[in-house]
Amino acid sequence: MTQRMRGGPLQGVRVVELTKVWAGPYVGKLLAFLGAEVIRIESLDSLDVTRTYGVKDINKAPGFQAVNPQKLSIQVDMKKPEGIKLVLDLLGKSDIVVENLRPGAVKRLGLGYDVVKAVKPDIVFVSMGMYGSEGPLAYQTGYAPCFAALGGLSLLVGHEGQPPAAMNIRYADSTFGTVAAYAAVAALIHRRKTGEGQFIDVSAVESMTSMIGDTIMDYTLNGIVHECDGNLHAEMAPHGVYRCANDEWISIAVASDEAWRAMAGVIGQSGNAHFSSHASRKANEAELNRVVSEWTATRDASEMVGLLQDAGVAAAKSQSSVDLVADPHLWGRGFYREVTDKSGQAKNIVGPSWKMSREAKITQGAPQLGEHNAYVFGELLGLSAEQQKEFAEAGITR
Amino acid sequence: MSAMRGIMVLELAESVSGEYCGKLLSDFGAEVIKLEVPGGGSPTRQLGPFANKGADPERSGLFAYLNTNKRSVALDVTTPAGATALQKLLGHVDVVIDDHASGWLKRVGLDPEALEANWPALVLCSITAFGQSPPEDRLHAEDLTVFHASGLGYHTPSGSPDELSPLKGAGRFLASYEAGLDAALCISASLFEREISRLGRFIDISKQQVLASRLDYVLSQMVAGDMDVSTSRKQFDLFGPTGIFRCRDGFAYIWMSAPSHWDGLRKLLGNPDWMNEFPERWLERECTPERVKLCRQHIAEWLATQEKETVAAEAQKLGLILVAVNNARDLQASPQYAFRKFFAEVDHPSLGKTLHPTVPYKLSKTPAQINAPAPLLGQHSELIGELS
Repeated sequence: MTQRMRGGPLQGVRVVELTKVWAGPYVGKLLAFLGAEVIRIESLDSLDVTRTYGVKDINKAPGFQAVNPQKLSIQVDMKKPEGIKLVLDLLGKSDIVVENLRPGAVKRLGLGYDVVKAVKPDIVFVSMGMYGSEGPLAYQTGYAPCFAALGGLSLLVGHEGQPPAAMNIRYADSTFGTVAAYAAVAALIHRRKTGEGQFIDVSAVESMTSMIGDTIMDYTLNGIVHECDGNLHAEMAPHGVYRCANDEWISIAVASDEAWRAMAGVIGQSGNAHFSSHASRKANEAELNRVVSEWTATRDASEMVGLLQDAGVAAAKSQSSVDLVADPHLWGRGFYREVTDKSGQAKNIVGPSWKMSREAKITQGAPQLGEHNAYVFGELLGLSAEQQKEFAEAGITR
Repeated sequence: MSAMRGIMVLELAESVSGEYCGKLLSDFGAEVIKLEVPGGGSPTRQLGPFANKGADPERSGLFAYLNTNKRSVALDVTTPAGATALQKLLGHVDVVIDDHASGWLKRVGLDPEALEANWPALVLCSITAFGQSPPEDRLHAEDLTVFHASGLGYHTPSGSPDELSPLKGAGRFLASYEAGLDAALCISASLFEREISRLGRFIDISKQQVLASRLDYVLSQMVAGDMDVSTSRKQFDLFGPTGIFRCRDGFAYIWMSAPSHWDGLRKLLGNPDWMNEFPERWLERECTPERVKLCRQHIAEWLATQEKETVAAEAQKLGLILVAVNNARDLQASPQYAFRKFFAEVDHPSLGKTLHPTVPYKLSKTPAQINAPAPLLGQHSELIGELS
């Protein structure tokens, strides 16, 4: 099977996913992009919402296809004891299992760490929960914006003097997934050295807090509780997003007096003593932002980025979704790339965040439901064609 | 036992992304040696939050947070003597982390393109704003501009009125933390393979690309042509009465998209009349702007009389997705964070005993641990004699 030998640092590693929606599947996506063989366990009777959301054909669901390229799919009814037995047989031949089902669900299924460890002592078992799998609040559940709210991020994002407005609603799941993937690979290193597997308990809320560690340190050190303050930055001024011609926006960040002198030259403020030092720019920040806004208001965002960059100033257009999918640099780096699904249809996907030497090949789109039943049940688990047929007819692999 | 004990890492990085990456490895037991320019050291030492310690050069809480378990060697690799010492050090380490601008590594004698020929077993990771070959109009960057080049910025916050500007991400360094995380993932995967293959690898991390990759679910659908793109700042948004509401003691976030959430709210509120004026299953089938507005008004009136933790606990038990909007004080007081020991006390020679946020994963056999505070500048410079 070509899935096993695509190159990449995790070639030869087998991952099984008991996951839903985005954060859990994102772990599998990252590990697949690093070369692992990732098998997603699905069931017709308990389909992931991304398989069905907004579409009739579960094998053409855009949301599912977005998060699951280069994976394998098998069908197992985990409500049947024979199904659980099959999953355990597969886990016995796997290196990592990732789950992000509701709190306690894997245990109720009979797939808790103790059970899995009994059949595969060196398994790396990754459990993902909003608050982690244990503790006084572990029973609580939520979606991505809840993680960001609980983790301390949402309160920090908003306009000055207004209630917090939070990060974009899509933020959080993929960060949570990356955190879990990193912990899993750290455990793989340990296992390769010692033969020992382990249980990993990942918290979505804590994943969020890790993205503002220094802000939290200001509280533990100095008792300072930060709240939303628009686009202000203690060490940079200007530091903002300014309206340009045609309802476009430009982001500008000035971190030094040298950068300010360069910017002042471009926007005609070279002689303005109100802005000569960082301290004076902070003291006169409202005026500073007014002056910058006046300069940007009637100009083209991309032209201003060019002028400021030529002068050595950090500036970038605030990219809309139109800009983003057309960004030639992202295409040039292979971030967007084409894969092909079982039906032969080519499709663009979001590839890995990284470039690396000896990368894993990424060529296949997301799997159809049960596309790899025969490979997994036959080749990996050694079931005869007859046995596979019996399992299918009994509804165990549907 | 530590997952990465015995792994030697040389940290040339001197900003948040590379230092955070190094911390993710050092808290798992990797031996991270940080090279710092004599005199001032890493620029992160000049960034707050600062402890109230006058002009003490070791007073940066940012540096203390990012550099736990590391050792500091004072060495300027941009001098001829420093460059020579660097070449010797490269023979002793498994990993190098850098986060200077593209081109800097080559100038100090560690050309990524010569990696395979000269240092075949070395894992070299570079973190930059836009990757190794940035276009001319992306040479200069800060986390704010990267955040906005990635698509996350333009769409932050969700539901923003058009007259207000798009915003920065939470905190000062979101782009850097995210990039440091992907760097640590790629480095550790490379180390896993290297245990057998003995081969190194060059890893090129672009902060812009990392942040854009976080949009995975929506951006993949957009680039595939399955979801519309537009210049709307609401293009990533979901519609409905979800959002942040003021409470008596702060703010709470409520999510409602399914009948079970509506039923939970009904139970929590004791079946008020206003809810009965909404059609059943309106959230999925008849979610009009007028209904959303009306629903939000009622929720706002009610939540204004509630306390965030108490109402969240009640709501959660009824299947309603409602949570507190926490600040740093709430997090330190969180019983869940206490249970998981998310905060760890670290005794630093200059800052004293301080609580640090730790990591979001608990590993049963090889937990991440902070065994030593961030180093003083040049505290371990004698290592250079041992290693060269």
